Amino acid sequence: MKKRNKSKMLAACLFISILLFPGIIPGLAQERPVIYKLAVELLPETASLQAKETIVWTNLSHDYVPDIHLHLYWNAFKNELSTLAKEASREKLFKRFKAEKGEWGWIKITSLTTSDGQDLLPAADFISPDEPPNPDDQTVLRVVLPQPVAPGQSLTLNIDFQAKVPKNGLRTGYFQDGFFISQWFPKPGVYEEGRGWNCHEYHLNSEFYADFADFKVKITVPKDFVVGACGQEVEKTEDLAAGRATYTYAQENIHDFAWTASPRFIKIERWFKGEEEVTPEEYQQIAGLLGLTVQDIKLPDVRMILLIEKQHKNQVERHFRALRAAIKYYGLWYGPYPYQTITMVDPPFRTGSGGMEYPTLFTAGTSVILEKNVLSPEGVIIHEFGHNYWYGLVASNEFEEAWLDEGINTYSTSKVSAVAYGAGQLPLKINGLPLGWLIKTPAVYDWQLARTISVPVTKLDPIITPSWKFYNSGSYSLNVYYRAATSLYTLERLLGEKIWARIMRTYHQRYRFRHPRTEDFIQVVNEVSGQDLNWFFQEFFYQAKDFDYAISSVETKLKPHEYRGEFDDLPVKTQNQAKASAGRKPVLEKEKIYQAVITLRRYGEAKPGSGFALKLKIEFEDGSTEWREWDGQSRWHRFYFEKPVKIKRAWLDPEGLWLVDTNLSNNSYSRHGPGIRILSVTANLLWLVQNVLVTCFSWL
Amino acid sequence: MISANFLKFGFNRAISKFKLSLYLWLIMFIISLIIIVPVSYEVRANLGHLAWTEKPLLPFELNLIEIFLANQNLLASYSVFIIIMLLFSALLSVFLSGGLFGQMLSPEARVSFRDFLVDGCRHFWQFLLSLIIFIPFLLIFFLVFRLLSAPLKLWSARAVTEWPVILASWLTVLLLALLWTAFRLVLDLVRIFVVGESKRAMAAYLSTLRFLHRHFFRLWSLYLLIGLAVILISAGWLLLVKLLSPTSPAGLLIIIILSQAYILFRLLARQVLIGVEASYFSARKGS
Repeated sequence: MKKRNKSKMLAACLFISILLFPGIIPGLAQERPVIYKLAVELLPETASLQAKETIVWTNLSHDYVPDIHLHLYWNAFKNELSTLAKEASREKLFKRFKAEKGEWGWIKITSLTTSDGQDLLPAADFISPDEPPNPDDQTVLRVVLPQPVAPGQSLTLNIDFQAKVPKNGLRTGYFQDGFFISQWFPKPGVYEEGRGWNCHEYHLNSEFYADFADFKVKITVPKDFVVGACGQEVEKTEDLAAGRATYTYAQENIHDFAWTASPRFIKIERWFKGEEEVTPEEYQQIAGLLGLTVQDIKLPDVRMILLIEKQHKNQVERHFRALRAAIKYYGLWYGPYPYQTITMVDPPFRTGSGGMEYPTLFTAGTSVILEKNVLSPEGVIIHEFGHNYWYGLVASNEFEEAWLDEGINTYSTSKVSAVAYGAGQLPLKINGLPLGWLIKTPAVYDWQLARTISVPVTKLDPIITPSWKFYNSGSYSLNVYYRAATSLYTLERLLGEKIWARIMRTYHQRYRFRHPRTEDFIQVVNEVSGQDLNWFFQEFFYQAKDFDYAISSVETKLKPHEYRGEFDDLPVKTQNQAKASAGRKPVLEKEKIYQAVITLRRYGEAKPGSGFALKLKIEFEDGSTEWREWDGQSRWHRFYFEKPVKIKRAWLDPEGLWLVDTNLSNNSYSRHGPGIRILSVTANLLWLVQNVLVTCFSWL
Repeated sequence: MISANFLKFGFNRAISKFKLSLYLWLIMFIISLIIIVPVSYEVRANLGHLAWTEKPLLPFELNLIEIFLANQNLLASYSVFIIIMLLFSALLSVFLSGGLFGQMLSPEARVSFRDFLVDGCRHFWQFLLSLIIFIPFLLIFFLVFRLLSAPLKLWSARAVTEWPVILASWLTVLLLALLWTAFRLVLDLVRIFVVGESKRAMAAYLSTLRFLHRHFFRLWSLYLLIGLAVILISAGWLLLVKLLSPTSPAGLLIIIILSQAYILFRLLARQVLIGVEASYFSARKGS
């Protein structure tokens, strides 16, 4: 019975989806729990939306589901009592969201019925599923159903809703006639078998989680507005009398839908051609790395759509170059981009929506004055496109395990950026004026910066912490983005490029269009590497531990030609030890012998797992080198050397494998130090202070 | 007398008394050294044994950030030290201004360190007093600034593109600079009255306001002209230094020499400004 019901429902779903989505993408047809049909009208004069929505939710679990939980995200911007507002207030960030009367954002369901016309609104109430509970939050609506949805059965909800676009929203908003609309419609959470609905409140430090779905959305706007949205534009009609245009967008197998409208956009389209962008040698090289055939990794063509503000039209080429690099390398490394379009939006000015990802659409963000060698907007374009892989396709739970998308994607961004552009100069601007024109700023790779800036939060929170439970926004972002990326870089260096590339490919391919968790990632790492790396995740992801190894001291002294004291005729124990004699103990060698002791320390709590020792490289003054290994388990360890030459330099972890080390500056020793660099720092600092004093003197 | 003559006179006077810039440079050099000793010590202690390779794992700047992060516990005590040093420097600046104005306005062609110090002592209290009396002027300055910058703020707030925001912020900075120079001119002239006319601070303010009532715009334009020259030369200097590499000993040596030359230049520019103001004052005080 169950099976028959399920088959019927799936057939019905398939039928509906064929009706709704005539252009189904081959290879994407599979079970999807949700189908959305939306029709929305933007009323710019009141910055509001009028919408109708049909949700067909299919119960793919074996549970009988008595209710449905819907996200009503915009109520987070409704007042000062929402969970987001309270969290922002706690972090002294509320000013960012504070609005004048009529500028608060909200969403109101005016009608909620089942397909047979049963009114469900009386059975709906707001709930606060997260700790600490907030009875004033209205971002999750629970609707008790007249009867439970049986396994395989579908539920159709017809919803009418109104929404006010928040003036000072997060990731969404408007400024005058520019709109960016995201998280705007009632959206079911993810039903997890045996655990119920996974539907969290909108938190300050969290993003989203939803089920894969098919969307068909009609968007009506004033006709002079340029519109961009997730998926493909399949129809456009104009009502000249009303001065409005309606755009219809459709896309299957995505889990969110965002759109934008502004009269100041320029819309430009280009094609990413797999055959032109990747050379045969590159195909060969990547295929070899991944252990696949060239045919396996061939990239399809993708239609790239850019919506850019007129003020930035001179940056079109920079935008497309970055996007092409991202489509190319993400596609080659992890798998081809499966959708036909990607829309890149330079978001309307002051809508607070820059640098955000949605399936098949992302926002970047740029400035009218750019520097040639600073990778902005390139970095954000690569990163946000990359979220189509880590969040869009591999749809992990951003509420509970944000590192799975942000951390992996920050790591991936850094890789693409390095291979496509090399190191980028650090940006330095005052009042929109790039100081890089006058001052030379250092060129750094993303991974170098990531590991450095994430140091302060190492001991604050584990990377794997629910987003809203981090100590603060800083800890959330530095941990899930940068510390996670640094840990992944470390793992890559420990395992080697080839194994790592195969791990990432396997993980991506296995969990495409699915919702993996951290354990799934670890399982793939262990499986593909053939090693038990659980310790790595325990040390660096599940716990907030500092990893800091150091060369604590290097002591060198001349070995004496004789030792004073009382000596017995004891057997000689070591090769270099001279025979004992009463009163004095001569050393045979006439040449100078140096005795050196290198002391290594473990300052942090985190340790390498078994089989992952730390290497020590010692370079002597005659150019010879020696290597030692330390398992790093004890708090300190000493290595002893006797050589006719002094130690010139020494490096702990000379290959730079352990990027998670929070202080790399204490990992090496040199008798001569870093040369004139310290003098240079002192001179710069002196000059800076002198300038302050001269200014002070001139003004006083 | 035309403006060029005032500039020429001021410049000549500054050059002839260039030693004053050297005194100031030396004193500030020593104080700066004292201020940076703790930081320099920490940098040396943490990075003094860093083994540098052709391809370092991190750029040196990130090593600096790293040790800063690792030694944040020292930040609080160092901040206290910096505040104390800045307060001391503020008082010292008043003293040095006394010495500088005294010597620049002195008819004697020769300057000596002893005379410089004597002038510093002689004018210290009146200069300090003039600074305290300047506080209400500062309040007026901020009030005027807020008033004049309000339309720019409004323009920026309503903008739907970025250019108006950037232009408004540049214009705000320009406005701030213009107003600051205008108000700063008052304090300079007060000090010229204190030194040149042996007036007490309050009387000097009244005389200054009377004087500026007639001569404000000409004097201000001279001030702005010198300020513009300093900005242009500073930008040129930054561009020149940007071309040099601090990683070679010769390059670093040249940068250090140029950096100290720049500090001397700034001090000399201050001397030129006082010289120009003084020459204008001498020429117009009877008018």
